[in-house]
Amino acid sequence: MARDFSINRLPGFASVAILTFFLLYLPIFTLVVFSFNEAASMSRWEGFSLKWYEAAFQNRQVRDVSIRSLWLAATAASFATILATLAALGTTRTSKFKGQTMIYALINQPLMVPEIVTGVALLIFFAAIKVQTGYTGMGYLVAAHTAFCIPFAYLPIRARLETMDNTLEIAAADLYAGPIKTFVHITLPLLLPGIFAGLMLGFVISLDAVVITEFVKSAGQDTLPTYMLGQLRRVVTPEMNAIATLFLLLSVLAVTIFFVLSRKRA
Amino acid sequence: MTATQGIGSPATDKGPAIEIEIRNLSKVFGDGPRAFKALDDIQLDIRQGEFFTLLGPSGCGKTTLLRLIAGFEQPSSGLLQINGKAVAGLGPNRRPVNTVFQNYALFPHMTLAENIGFGLKMLGKSRSEVASTTQEMLKLVKMDAMADRKPAQISGGQQQRIALARALAPRPRVLLLDEPLSALDLKLRKEMQVELKRLQLETGITFVFVTHDQEEALTMSDRIAVISGGQVLQMGTPHEIYNFPAERFVADFIGDTNFIDAEIVQYEGDFAQVRLPGGVVREASLPEGFNARVGETVTVVIRPEHASLTERGDLQATVENAVFFGTDTHIHLRLEDQTPFILRRQNTGVSVAPPEAGQHACIAVAEGGIQVLRS
Repeated sequence: MARDFSINRLPGFASVAILTFFLLYLPIFTLVVFSFNEAASMSRWEGFSLKWYEAAFQNRQVRDVSIRSLWLAATAASFATILATLAALGTTRTSKFKGQTMIYALINQPLMVPEIVTGVALLIFFAAIKVQTGYTGMGYLVAAHTAFCIPFAYLPIRARLETMDNTLEIAAADLYAGPIKTFVHITLPLLLPGIFAGLMLGFVISLDAVVITEFVKSAGQDTLPTYMLGQLRRVVTPEMNAIATLFLLLSVLAVTIFFVLSRKRA
Repeated sequence: MTATQGIGSPATDKGPAIEIEIRNLSKVFGDGPRAFKALDDIQLDIRQGEFFTLLGPSGCGKTTLLRLIAGFEQPSSGLLQINGKAVAGLGPNRRPVNTVFQNYALFPHMTLAENIGFGLKMLGKSRSEVASTTQEMLKLVKMDAMADRKPAQISGGQQQRIALARALAPRPRVLLLDEPLSALDLKLRKEMQVELKRLQLETGITFVFVTHDQEEALTMSDRIAVISGGQVLQMGTPHEIYNFPAERFVADFIGDTNFIDAEIVQYEGDFAQVRLPGGVVREASLPEGFNARVGETVTVVIRPEHASLTERGDLQATVENAVFFGTDTHIHLRLEDQTPFILRRQNTGVSVAPPEAGQHACIAVAEGGIQVLRS
């Protein structure tokens, strides 16, 4: 009789798959290749060179915005992870309560509301606060980034908690551990891979954010993506390719860590 | 000697001290019309140092009772005392009771030694005491060579031993075991039955064991409480429960049984004369507290191995078929009133030929082999 249905036996499966990967990675491949181009051209290859990387490293502005981006991503992802951990504990380690589905929806709000809407809303909201308080620091960006990182941090943490056998916590209580000791000795160590995965995902998401940052930032608060966007409006040199390549490397690294951690079994 | 330890009878007659005392204990889940009464007015005394089994089908409430003793759930009403102290409202971390979980629930991020030492560490014992007790426990369950492994690196049977060692390490007054053998294969299960019995005797700790396996209950327990529908139907030694079942459910749940209608001719004390189908009058034992009336039709139980085929017997029947099991043969018969009857014959010699189907047969019941059921 018929064997199990398997999609990779459909005619044309391989062709479609290869074409898709090709379309996905060709632009990125081109970007990476031209970051090593000797010439200032984005279309003509004139030989291998690292000079654009050198230029990028020497560019004080690039250094500044990179540091700001990394700092912002680390701060926002940390706050988001702490909040997401609490949210995940609250939605999985309590008895079912009314409105739980509503809570899921609310936590995941940043995934559903278009970024441009959030951006405009934050612009108006923060403007009002700025007028009232006079504060124009990084707090606004941290708050905005934290908010949209929460669902990304929440998902892997919650997934981890849901697959964790909760008789372990009951067993700890049976063995004379109070609620705090149970959390410290059992729940937290087992949750740690999920927490790190959430942290990495939040970090990448924050690092990558353009739209909301563009709306929220004050003068002199450019992050790497908004700086690049600004530069692209003027002259395009392979220096941008070099920065983008390094940026890509960092993101891939963080996402890889995320995958390794979230696949690690309890 | 009374035939059964009746429901609710205080078992305090100068025997060993009572470890767990349960009075009028009920547990209701949910509320309103959807409320479910998992335990209904339970009375139970579990003695110090005994191997006590809660036996019943799944969903009967036995695990709920265990969880109430452990403190994972709180009772809806009633009294629960451990070693003379009411434990209502106390969390599991504040009761001198440890549990062996059905799925073992070993901490996956800790070594076997750390798992075993966890309870002692939480009790605030010194590092050296934790280490020495852990070592002792590893030896007790014969796992001392694997102290530094993680739970995922050992077999199911070994995890079972570690779960036992972990629960025994803090020297609880009571060890609760929630169907701990159900995940093991038959051979390992037999081994662990012996092992559990050994550990119980060596440590002298009171074991409360939950199972749905009647054989496990019969072979290991000092006493058994048969539970169904949230109630204790009967409590007694394996011998009492098996030979003198008081209720139809108990007789049916434990072992194979024949149920036959009989009429009470006369009675005195724990015994009655009953007229079996076909007219023969035999002596039968009565369940405790049974209100017998002369002329009343009751159901009596006869175990298949307490009956035999003879020339002139107590019951007349027709042979339907015989099934050969090696050590014994099950002979399926039908009484004159069409009641089915199973008889088990030990194959003591190879020459015994099974009876032919359709043949007439007489059934003799062994002395003391008839028990009246509470209707």
